[in-house]
Amino acid sequence: MGTAAWVLIAAGGVLYIASVFWGLVLALVGAGLYFGRITAMSGRPEAKRALRSLGRSTWIPAAGILSAVIIGGLIMWAVGYNPITAYGALFYGGFVANWHISVLNAAPLLFTGLSVAFAFKAGLFNIGAEGQYYVGAMAATFLGIRLGMPALLTVPLVLLLSGAAGAAYAFIPSILRVRTGAHEVITTMMLAHIARYLSSPFVRIMGGDPATSSHPYVTDPIQEGAELLRFAEILPNAYYRLHTGILIGIALALFVYYILFRTKIGFEIRAVGMNPDAARAQGISVGRNIFIALMGAGLLAGLAGFNQVLGLNHKMYQNLTAGYGWDGISVALLASGHPIGVIFTALLWGALDAGGQYMQRALQTPSSIVEILKGIILFLIVARYIYQVLGRKLRRYRRSLKGEAG
Amino acid sequence: MNGLLGVFDADLFESTIRLATPIALASMGAAVCERSGIINIAMEGIMIVGAFFAAFLAFYTANPWLGMLGGMLAGGLYSMVHAFATVTLHLNHVVSGAVLNIGALGITRFLMVVAFGHPGTTPSVPVSLAEYRWEIPLLSEIPFLGDVVFSQTPIAYLSIVVLFVLWYFVFRTKVGLHIRSAGEHPLALETLGVSVRRMRYLAVTISGLTSGLAGAFLSIENNASFTEGMSNGRGFIALAANISGGWNPIGSFIASQFFGFADALQVRFQVTEILDIPAELFIIFPYVATLVAVAGLVRHSRPPDTLGEDFRIENRD
Repeated sequence: MGTAAWVLIAAGGVLYIASVFWGLVLALVGAGLYFGRITAMSGRPEAKRALRSLGRSTWIPAAGILSAVIIGGLIMWAVGYNPITAYGALFYGGFVANWHISVLNAAPLLFTGLSVAFAFKAGLFNIGAEGQYYVGAMAATFLGIRLGMPALLTVPLVLLLSGAAGAAYAFIPSILRVRTGAHEVITTMMLAHIARYLSSPFVRIMGGDPATSSHPYVTDPIQEGAELLRFAEILPNAYYRLHTGILIGIALALFVYYILFRTKIGFEIRAVGMNPDAARAQGISVGRNIFIALMGAGLLAGLAGFNQVLGLNHKMYQNLTAGYGWDGISVALLASGHPIGVIFTALLWGALDAGGQYMQRALQTPSSIVEILKGIILFLIVARYIYQVLGRKLRRYRRSLKGEAG
Repeated sequence: MNGLLGVFDADLFESTIRLATPIALASMGAAVCERSGIINIAMEGIMIVGAFFAAFLAFYTANPWLGMLGGMLAGGLYSMVHAFATVTLHLNHVVSGAVLNIGALGITRFLMVVAFGHPGTTPSVPVSLAEYRWEIPLLSEIPFLGDVVFSQTPIAYLSIVVLFVLWYFVFRTKVGLHIRSAGEHPLALETLGVSVRRMRYLAVTISGLTSGLAGAFLSIENNASFTEGMSNGRGFIALAANISGGWNPIGSFIASQFFGFADALQVRFQVTEILDIPAELFIIFPYVATLVAVAGLVRHSRPPDTLGEDFRIENRD
């Protein structure tokens, strides 16, 4: 029964990701079964407790998004757009009509978001995930073109090596942080700019013969068969560009969750993140765990490059403003660093971008309004603290009332 | 070889001071801010906001001085969000800074579309501050030094004024002492009856004003228009300059000259084309220089004692 529930949730989720909407129904039935099973086995209070813990982790983001939508609507209205039709187009475009674009947008953010979230658990801020993405993308492009191995071997090998390339790039800030104490915010940011600029000559060099190449701003395509599986190859009606990279991302999110919350190394990383001094007193090596966390973050961000090259583009474009690093930070902060949460926040961010484009085409309302909306939603990270401060004040007030009564 | 050495002329050092200006301004502000105990990684975003409003005002009023003032004030206002988030809401300083950087990209893109109808680059401002280049009489006659230091543009001169003002403010006034105490031993300061929060708000806002001015330099003095994301990492380089300079306005200013030099050098290598290698290998100079400086110098400077630590008073918040 329990396995059936999880199979339903997984199958429904995959279908939903592939824009088969009744997949959501399957997933919900699976979730219903799961709670039914808890009720049957441990009684109603236990199921209620599970539901309540789910609600506790989602009500703040939900309330935040709702109030951001209201504030964003007021801004739209103030600059002269009809917020109701605009939101209609935005959400219809992002979650229904162009959901496949949302999923495509979300995939790289899922990887960079996981990267930032993983480092965050060790108290580190991988603000330069963008650089590791570029390095991972360059590695994936280079290997995809030059590896020349059987297709079946190429994809897993490139997956491993582009992740390794991202990690190798994160080696510099990791070792600097551990050995000299140089703050990773500055070092990763500088390395991000360096990788960003170095990607341009890389693209030109990998672009084949400049005399015959039609386009100097793009590399040659990767070898035939080295592409990631596309949904259209298994589901007849799926959008032709939609690839399975997001499934790798989701699997990775579950894996990161497992590492962080179910293994000794994850426990140590979290201990260092929460209180380095206490961790040290427990005999946990702070330097070692900081090193591992930052290298792991580099690996995850490098895989964003793998996802874009082998999944989406099959080549690398010269692009100095990918922005996956900053969006990855947003996505990770929105999920307050929880790897499973990152799946949902990445999809939300992807949907807002896709919906914004749809809205612009349908209504000529500028899609940049989405940027403001994203900013306001993000500020509800701050608002999360407002709730905490308010909650604390309320508790203290209650306590003081009790104190006076007693 | 002769060609290579030819790069090192008065022009190079003139542009060193010019290109160091935004980094110096932001890093001196950062020195004040971080002395009060607040980490400020938001300068990148504050610069962008300042740059946008400077260009916006200079474009619509055709007065670059108003643009400069507006950019500075916009930076100050935007930085107060950082103060509110970190001091009042006890948000992690680095998280708040990152959110502000992301927010700045969104806000400026949105406002660009509202005010100019398209994202990307704004149209040129009618009059830029570069047209007010001032060759100081007599001083600019000094060989070499006259060309390098005494024939600069307004905000470049202002950065030198800011240097002296901030140094005096931080080390020779009572408020400056209070700001430093807020970063070293906030509880002692609070015990003396001085509000740590107020000092921190003030220090953050000062860094916002200087970063906003740095942004104005980028959009209406070094250029004549605003381009999205035009600060291009300078906020973080400024942070590095502040650390290398030992959380001291003077040190920050000197360190900024080093990064300005790296920037000027890459521009010269690009323009003169003496080495036949991709331009990007030059563009990364300042970033590599920053990396090296942070890696090499960070051990030798001591941060304020409670830098990045939250300050709470029981029973009040």
